[in-house]
Amino acid sequence: MFFRILKKDLKRKKTMNVILLLFIILAAMFLSSSVDNLIAVNGAIDHFIEISKTPDFLSIALTDGKTDEIADFLQDNENVAEYEVINTFNLINEDITILNCQNMPGHTRYERTNTLCLETVPENFIKVFQMDDSALTLNSGEIAFPKAEADHNHLQVGDQVSIKIGETEQAFTIAAIVKDAVFGSTMMGFKRLLISAEDFAKFAAQEGLVHTQIYNIDYVDKEKFQDQWQSQNFMVISSLETKSTIRMCYIMDMLIAAILIVVSICLILLAFLVLRFTIVFTLQEDYKEIGIMKAIGIKDMGIKGLYLIKYLAISVVGAMIGFCLGFPFGTIILERAIVNIVVDKTEQNFVINFTCAAAVVFIVLLFCYLSTNKLKKISALQAIRSGSDGERYQAKNYLKLWKRPKMKPFFYMAVNDILSSLKRFGILFATFCLGTLLILLPLSAASTLKSDGIISSFSLSPSDVYLDTGKGETYTVDMERMFQDLEEIEARLKENGIIAKTGADMGYMLPCYTEDPKNSVTYYVLQAEGSWDRHYVLLSGEEPELSNEVMITELTAKEMGVGIGDSIHFATSEKTDEFIITGIYQSMMNMGQGYRVSRSAQLDRKYAAGIFCIQVEIEDMDSDEACEKMKEIFPEYKIMNSEGFLDNMIGGVIEQINTLTFFIVGIVLVINSLITILIMKTIMTKERGEIALLKSMGFTDGSLRAWQITRILLILTAAIIMGTILSKVLAPYTIGPIFAMMGATSMKLVMNSFEAYVLYPLLLFVVTGISSFICARGVRKVDLKEVNTIE
Amino acid sequence: MESLKIKDLCKTYIIHKRQNHVLRNVTMEITEGELVAVMGPSGSGKSTLLYTVSGMDYITAGKVDFFGRDISSLNARQMSELRLEEMGFIFQQMYMLKNLSIYDNIVLPAYQSKNGKTKEKRKEINDRAKELMHKLGISEIAEHDINEVSGGQLQRACICRSLINNPRMIFADEPTGALNQQNSREVMKELNRINKEGTTIMLVTHDMKVAAKSDRVLYIEDGNIKGQYLLCKYMEGEESREREKKLSNWLMEMGF
Repeated sequence: MFFRILKKDLKRKKTMNVILLLFIILAAMFLSSSVDNLIAVNGAIDHFIEISKTPDFLSIALTDGKTDEIADFLQDNENVAEYEVINTFNLINEDITILNCQNMPGHTRYERTNTLCLETVPENFIKVFQMDDSALTLNSGEIAFPKAEADHNHLQVGDQVSIKIGETEQAFTIAAIVKDAVFGSTMMGFKRLLISAEDFAKFAAQEGLVHTQIYNIDYVDKEKFQDQWQSQNFMVISSLETKSTIRMCYIMDMLIAAILIVVSICLILLAFLVLRFTIVFTLQEDYKEIGIMKAIGIKDMGIKGLYLIKYLAISVVGAMIGFCLGFPFGTIILERAIVNIVVDKTEQNFVINFTCAAAVVFIVLLFCYLSTNKLKKISALQAIRSGSDGERYQAKNYLKLWKRPKMKPFFYMAVNDILSSLKRFGILFATFCLGTLLILLPLSAASTLKSDGIISSFSLSPSDVYLDTGKGETYTVDMERMFQDLEEIEARLKENGIIAKTGADMGYMLPCYTEDPKNSVTYYVLQAEGSWDRHYVLLSGEEPELSNEVMITELTAKEMGVGIGDSIHFATSEKTDEFIITGIYQSMMNMGQGYRVSRSAQLDRKYAAGIFCIQVEIEDMDSDEACEKMKEIFPEYKIMNSEGFLDNMIGGVIEQINTLTFFIVGIVLVINSLITILIMKTIMTKERGEIALLKSMGFTDGSLRAWQITRILLILTAAIIMGTILSKVLAPYTIGPIFAMMGATSMKLVMNSFEAYVLYPLLLFVVTGISSFICARGVRKVDLKEVNTIE
Repeated sequence: MESLKIKDLCKTYIIHKRQNHVLRNVTMEITEGELVAVMGPSGSGKSTLLYTVSGMDYITAGKVDFFGRDISSLNARQMSELRLEEMGFIFQQMYMLKNLSIYDNIVLPAYQSKNGKTKEKRKEINDRAKELMHKLGISEIAEHDINEVSGGQLQRACICRSLINNPRMIFADEPTGALNQQNSREVMKELNRINKEGTTIMLVTHDMKVAAKSDRVLYIEDGNIKGQYLLCKYMEGEESREREKKLSNWLMEMGF
């Protein structure tokens, strides 16, 4: 008998049971995949560091390939556990020619994203991995590209490039796109192309070439090694504590992972919230029957048992399906979200997924048990009398139709329903609001990065034109060449009737300390060069004017424990100069670390590390027009406006945020659609009687559909407004700290109005509207005789 | 003129792959201004007849003309318009929208109709609603919620709603079935009054006292109209005992 009732119930209430089953599947799928991903993402960077064998310390220096004082220092050093010297060649744009690009046939010009070098496939330190996480091996004639470089040049596996170093030129076929733990992140300004040792030897055989050496070092004692290293004052382009730097550099990837976790947690919460709603809703539907069962003498435990068995059956089936779907779903989300890191997928295991699925069953039964607990408190008569709601209906008609002479009835009913049943539509509101928030927060980050003001955050002064000669590193060894180029650019522009001033900011890697030279740390120091007289944005204080004045980033000031008026020292192998701090600024260059000295400061050119670009300020011409003219005058150079320059500098980061935003938009749209359909189905199941009544009065299917859709779109509108307000409030606390980590400690966040207030809301409206329209078509199926189901 | 002309009407339900013929070749007519009661034992097809002839349910075969229009030839939209503008429904249970006040429930179909689009027209509707409510004695409950009034008041509100668009015909499915005798009498009094004002009414009832106040009683059994009993128009204040007695005798003859 017991099972016959159960069987009948499962059959008869097919719609509600299917809805419940769907939610259990979703809950199990979200929970298992998200917990899996949470574990995988949590240890992702450490795992990547470990499997790639990232050294403790890394330094990059230029040598003539003959003398190597750093290698001599490392040799037999008791504080060095293991080290390796990697010989590489620096590559400028002209060194690489695209021979065959499948995505852009005929495209030959190569544009590097950052400083680029060529080396052999690493075998000991900083090993690289292919996109499918497999190890990399290359044959002669093959080359591997990091993802950022390949994407920037539209290259893919199978394309061909030619590389010329000195007098040797060779064609290569791209055999792999790789993930590179140390140099692969979008924030790292150094990339490497990899070829086989055999091919590399052909280039290296030439005499007189300048090499870029990479020193990978594992130390025994960090502090002792650092003391020794600093006291040597080596001339290096860059030195870094690799592991801590990597963690910082992958901030964008980890941000994506963090948002992935937040999204997952939201999905789990949402799934359980909706699950509870559905269970309570389905139980309320049954109140009359529960009353009848009580009336004929079935005990409370018997009734409760009936429901517990029913939900056990549904939840076990749902959890099993969700458990199976959790594996592919988790993998898809993880792969889409984290493209630059090798994630340890071995963590994704059967036990975790199974435990999560079991947890879903347990939670469903718990919800059911708690919901059915109410049964004990009510008598059979109460249950029957109170009808399917299980509670006496309390009307809350806040709006009066007759007082709104212009309002259409369907619109009135939609507004009135929402106001009368705020709790019922609360889940929908919360879901939509959360979705809007999840879209707007990363959008705020992307908009800020694309805004005009961001140039100042890179410790630069905005100019009309940004020019990349592709010789940035050449200027470090021959700075006169840079001055010649600046003069030549001005002269050629003048010949073409354009009056312009040029400038470049030369960066130096200088050891710096406050009091004790032993505590010196190498920092990036900028100095303005060229005829263009420009100024910089400061947070406080003033720009340095005298030769012994300096301004300092907020992060460096904190790290060094100094402020305006304090002194710092720049120490080189030949001299130590004292500088007075005159101002504090923020910069996203070098993760917020650095200084800027005045034009008159005398810095040792041997420590020059390169420029980002040459800036051109043109009289009486707007930026775009100037760019167009300059492209004609300087076909050999890359000419950019501020947007192009930003794309060049942080295009990878913006692209990552854009990818993240699209990914979230995708998830939000799917969730919105799903929740809309399921909630609408649930509510419509309950409203069949009222729909039938309205039909009997003569309401057309169209007006009934409009009623149902308007309700959803009104909630969506309110949720978008609330989400937008919340995003404004929350952005400084969520996006602000990310900019602060990158160095922009006082970033003014902006929002792209078109995207935030038009494009994405419209997209949400269209997709949610379509979902609700599809669902509202169900009113057609409501038979007029179902009017009898009204309580 | 015939309000309703039904010819060879059949309605068949298929339950568990078995055909269940609820209505079998029903042929009948209702004249404009008539009040016709349909009686018969449970399961005889009374309600099905009411729902099919009013377009609330599809017919299996036959023809139903509503004031000269074949309702089986109308599409869903036209049928909705017909129900909205020319028909009124009263159910046994007092079905109303829970989120609306009594007054809003009454004016809702009128606001939805062609004549309810402008501010001026809505003012007229409001006036009419107030007048109807006054006539039916429920003016004082206008702003009440549906759970704050008695069954009789609620049913009278349902009658107001069914009349708000000045329908040509009212279909009532056991309108007094859920009411006590006092409320039942009041509702029938209103239906007689409405009928006298020219509205055709077809009602299904089990209650002989209700049927006795109609112009004609149709007896239906096994999906067929077995017979009809003609009564003269019921006049307000008229002693109905004699009518009930005659009807009772006839019904007994019919096997009721």
